[in-house]
Amino acid sequence: MLFSLRELVQWLGFATFELFLHLLALLVFSMLVALRADMFTPTLSWWLVFVPLFAADGLSTYFTAIVSIRLYQENEKRLAVLRLLWVLTVLSLKLVCEVLLCQKLAEQEQARDLWFGLIVSPLFILLQLLMIRACRVN
Amino acid sequence: MKMSLAQRVLLSWIFALIFLIMLVLKLDSKIHWNWFLIFLPVWTFDTILILMLIVKMAGRCKPDFDPRDGEQSLKRRLWYLTALLLKLAFCLTLCSRLERLTEMWVSVVCVPLWVLLGGALVELGHSVFHYRRD
Repeated sequence: MLFSLRELVQWLGFATFELFLHLLALLVFSMLVALRADMFTPTLSWWLVFVPLFAADGLSTYFTAIVSIRLYQENEKRLAVLRLLWVLTVLSLKLVCEVLLCQKLAEQEQARDLWFGLIVSPLFILLQLLMIRACRVN
Repeated sequence: MKMSLAQRVLLSWIFALIFLIMLVLKLDSKIHWNWFLIFLPVWTFDTILILMLIVKMAGRCKPDFDPRDGEQSLKRRLWYLTALLLKLAFCLTLCSRLERLTEMWVSVVCVPLWVLLGGALVELGHSVFHYRRD
């Protein structure tokens, strides 16, 4: 639409398959959220609802590790390290945000000090990083 | 006129940043605005995208347009327009649900989002397997 798939892959630094994985996780997650909210399954804990997102992060890390090892073996050492560092930074920021949000939702009474500004702060950092990377890719 | 990648990223970045800031302020109860007002950056961004798409599709009406390369891009642009309208429908129903204008189920609110994600998955999956075949 605004970006072509090639530009997205270059900008975000993720392979098409990883984007597919994250979208699939988002779809399953939204279904579980709807299930939880409509009270069809009141016993469903928030940690269980967030499992697809955590699983996508884990699979993406595994995929990136494999790709980086392959790149390293093919003597593309700089590319391998840069790719690994970038993807791990993005995934860890995403994971921190997800864990904090999940904790806030699961333990509303105990996590009263956890304000949303704090939960979303990894996303603010991620936005700055993405802007810097867009200038470099451009 | 074609915008560079940095310009397009900047455009999305500004709207995403403003929306996130307003969302956080609302969720932390620092401001007590209407949810439709909180989603103002989303409405503006979607309107800009829809206008850009319509202008591009109107380019087919030009006298020097070559119909041979237009068939595929028209289908693609129609899908993009549908995707944008689905996103808009999801945000509108979500806002009305949050404002308690309607008492519909969250599952019903999420239907446009699921259709949109399903379509995006089919498109992405097609390109993944297409590359593999090559």
